[in-house]
Amino acid sequence: MPKVGIPRALLYYNYFPLWKVFFEELGAEVVLSGLTNKKILDDGVNCCVDDACLPMKVFHGHAVHLKDRVDYLFVPRLISVEKNEYICPKFCGLPDMVINSIEGLPKVIDCTINLRDGNKSLRKAVLEVGGLFTGSLSRIYNAYQKASAELADYERLMLNGATPLEALNGNGPPPADYQYSIGLIGHPYNIYDNYVSMSIIEKLRGRGINVLTQDMVCKEELDRIAEGFTKPMFWSFGKKIMAASSYLIDQRNVRGIIYLVAFGCGLDALVGDLVERRIRKKGVPFCMITIDEHTGEAGVDTRLEAFIDMLEWRDTQKCL
Amino acid sequence: MKKYYLGIDVGSVSTNLVLLDDQGSLVYRDYLKTMGQPIKVVQEGLKILKERMGDVSIAGAGTTGSGRKLAGIMVGADVVKNEITTHAVAALDTNPAVNTILEIGGQDSKIIILRDGIVSDFAMNTVCAAGTGSFLDRQAARLQIPIEEFGDLALKSTTEVRVAGRCAVFAESDMIHKQQLGHRVEDIVYGLCQALVRNYLNNLGKGKDIKPPVMFQGGVAANRGIREAFRRELGMEIEVPTHYDVMGAIGAALIAREAVKSRGITSFKGLDVSQCRFGVRPIDCGGCANMCEIVEIIRDGVGIACWGDRCGKWSSRVGKYA
Repeated sequence: MPKVGIPRALLYYNYFPLWKVFFEELGAEVVLSGLTNKKILDDGVNCCVDDACLPMKVFHGHAVHLKDRVDYLFVPRLISVEKNEYICPKFCGLPDMVINSIEGLPKVIDCTINLRDGNKSLRKAVLEVGGLFTGSLSRIYNAYQKASAELADYERLMLNGATPLEALNGNGPPPADYQYSIGLIGHPYNIYDNYVSMSIIEKLRGRGINVLTQDMVCKEELDRIAEGFTKPMFWSFGKKIMAASSYLIDQRNVRGIIYLVAFGCGLDALVGDLVERRIRKKGVPFCMITIDEHTGEAGVDTRLEAFIDMLEWRDTQKCL
Repeated sequence: MKKYYLGIDVGSVSTNLVLLDDQGSLVYRDYLKTMGQPIKVVQEGLKILKERMGDVSIAGAGTTGSGRKLAGIMVGADVVKNEITTHAVAALDTNPAVNTILEIGGQDSKIIILRDGIVSDFAMNTVCAAGTGSFLDRQAARLQIPIEEFGDLALKSTTEVRVAGRCAVFAESDMIHKQQLGHRVEDIVYGLCQALVRNYLNNLGKGKDIKPPVMFQGGVAANRGIREAFRRELGMEIEVPTHYDVMGAIGAALIAREAVKSRGITSFKGLDVSQCRFGVRPIDCGGCANMCEIVEIIRDGVGIACWGDRCGKWSSRVGKYA
């Protein structure tokens, strides 16, 4: 049984159930790298080009972690995941970066996914990747159908408030008696990777706060809000983050918004400012937390604590 | 016997202790250099307090600053609060009308926006220390001017000399360039003050509605050059509270007073904590690939707290210690 390695990084948080079921239906064994840890990050920092952002470095670390244990490494070249939209340009070059930065790699599956002009290239990519494992077109087609259904289930759980980790286990969010909600926005690979985010979701939940992210809002709502932007936002993630912040404030009554950004992210640098202005106009507290390779948790904790104090102080007129 | 409330602010550069009476008036204050040894300096501070004040009855204690957790465990604090909240509480106590707090410490700087006596927004510096006290310290050392004289020298400036303030490294080379051109030291020194203020307002003040009354606190508020640069840049009067350099500690003590009032009991371990033998035991946890650097705090040979782990294996022992 051929082994396909999938790094637990970047768009893993968005598409893993799809990829996993697709490969498994084609008779491959999927090997997932472990949770991000210090060694993975260190390995990534050591082999990745210096000026890449933190999540790219994390991805490299996961690739290093997998390379000797698998026959294939899955590093798709993602250009666009939505019609007329793009994702961060670093994703286009990701397979090249990985291939040129890491030695001793197994065969890299680097199919190109570009949905900017529609679904045609997706079909091509599915057939190309499927062809590595089987000659039967119907088997590839069926595998993809099943994989898509799996992804839909996963996304449904997230809409109900589950984090990727919970949804991948087939669970909803843990039952809890929350006092109020906070919106947490940012690239999924930043907010859901507990090592990178310093467990921000767990920390907030631990304080009795419900955490709502952009992935917990349905696409139709987000698209509807995005239509009202003065100019179309052509970055898929930027659009989602911006639209979700409005939705969470107007429809879900969040008391504040936290935007987790990775140091060196070009997209966050621009979108962050746009989002901040929109949120401030609504008079809702906003806090941007920048994360990087450092392990100093105190900085994140102090800002979180102060932000929560502020929200509760506004509410109760008491700072205790 | 009179009751007092203790506030301890363990910062990167200084550790401050204050004692407030039941009315919230300051009866004792001490400003010590942390020197990278928070445990030692907290004990030292308590020892001096006892020497000067005698065996006072302390009804509650609060800690703040980057070393708040450590200090909190050591003294058995009733509250362990972040610096934003403590600074805001202390400023409001001094002037309930305050709308903006500028705070510049050794390694971090913050801006706190208040409306109607409530924090409505704040920002802290991110990865850059160019807008903080260490930046000035470093440049003062370069110019061989004692930091205490820095501000007064800046006020003697008559001509504006623009020094780049975006980055401490660029500021330094820019400053050397200005020196080589023959500019006077006082003009360069004031140029540095303006550079710090520009950096601060660009980074932290961005998009914030800075309204008077503005209060300037933190160690750097001692620097009259910086005060003047803020006054000119913002075009408003800058109020510096009497105890500007220990505001964090005052806030911690005020919050501790509230906490003790509602709980009715303090967990403060007493001033004799300064007699205990504190130590730390570093532990390299090899439990997983995170290789967390754990620190165990030991009092008189017994572990009292642990932290530094990501999974909670060590830090969850804190509950069992207590």
